[in-house]
Amino acid sequence: MYRTLFAFLGAISLVIMIVALLAIPFVNIAAHPPGKAETAAMNWVKHKVFVRNKWQKNPAQSDAAGIADGKTAFSHYCAACHGLDAQNSGVPFADRMSPPVPSLAGNEVQSYTDGQLKWIIDNGIWPSGMPGSKDILSDDEIWSIVVYLRHLPQAGSLGEPEMYTH
Amino acid sequence: MKRLVNVFAAVLVAALVLVQGHGIQAGPHRIDVTAKRFEFLPGEITLKKGEPIVLVLKSVDVAHGIRFKELGIETKIGKGQTSELAFTPDKTGTFVGHCSVFCGSGHGAMTLTLHVVD
Repeated sequence: MYRTLFAFLGAISLVIMIVALLAIPFVNIAAHPPGKAETAAMNWVKHKVFVRNKWQKNPAQSDAAGIADGKTAFSHYCAACHGLDAQNSGVPFADRMSPPVPSLAGNEVQSYTDGQLKWIIDNGIWPSGMPGSKDILSDDEIWSIVVYLRHLPQAGSLGEPEMYTH
Repeated sequence: MKRLVNVFAAVLVAALVLVQGHGIQAGPHRIDVTAKRFEFLPGEITLKKGEPIVLVLKSVDVAHGIRFKELGIETKIGKGQTSELAFTPDKTGTFVGHCSVFCGSGHGAMTLTLHVVD
């Protein structure tokens, strides 16, 4: 009985592998923008299911020094993909990624709580290009970045990241 | 005359011993700290509250920095350079300083811990 079952499952697996191999030339893996429905579905799932830590409060002060700290930390690390202004200014590949790099001033990002933003910076978001940064940045730096994200400058006002200008 | 010279020498030696014993010329306690990706060596230092201290920080690779947020002190260390951080701890406790100049993939975990005791 078991012998027959294993043989049957093995045969099905073999067929699936062969079909998958034959389909490879026809699969388009080039980066392309996600559709509206895909974007809306992913945003809902991220906000409601995947991104945790909704209720943790930000211990960093939202004063001028706190914003300056966040701006400095952001400019050292995050600016390569998000621009100095967190709105993609001067980032040549921002709209060529799939999904595109979002403006962090937009509602999709700003509607996360501070705790969720900390979680995203700590852990990244799959399958976007956002990497996790825990231990690459300290907790203090990450919380200060969250403060900066709540007080972003006008788009384009900080120029382009230095790495793209020389 | 010889006796006078001997007495003078004895007084001089005694004075030197006294001066060293009381630390008059010692100044603040200086502690050498090496900064390198992604650690400070030593990683933990115990200090006495109220005792002036100078941390002599030497970078052996890229630029680093150290910031003790709770103590309100910070300094930056240029690539391959040395920087001094002079302060007097005025409260007891454990204080963790973080590298304040982004230095690579382990930057966020690069810390120096100060234990300040009575």
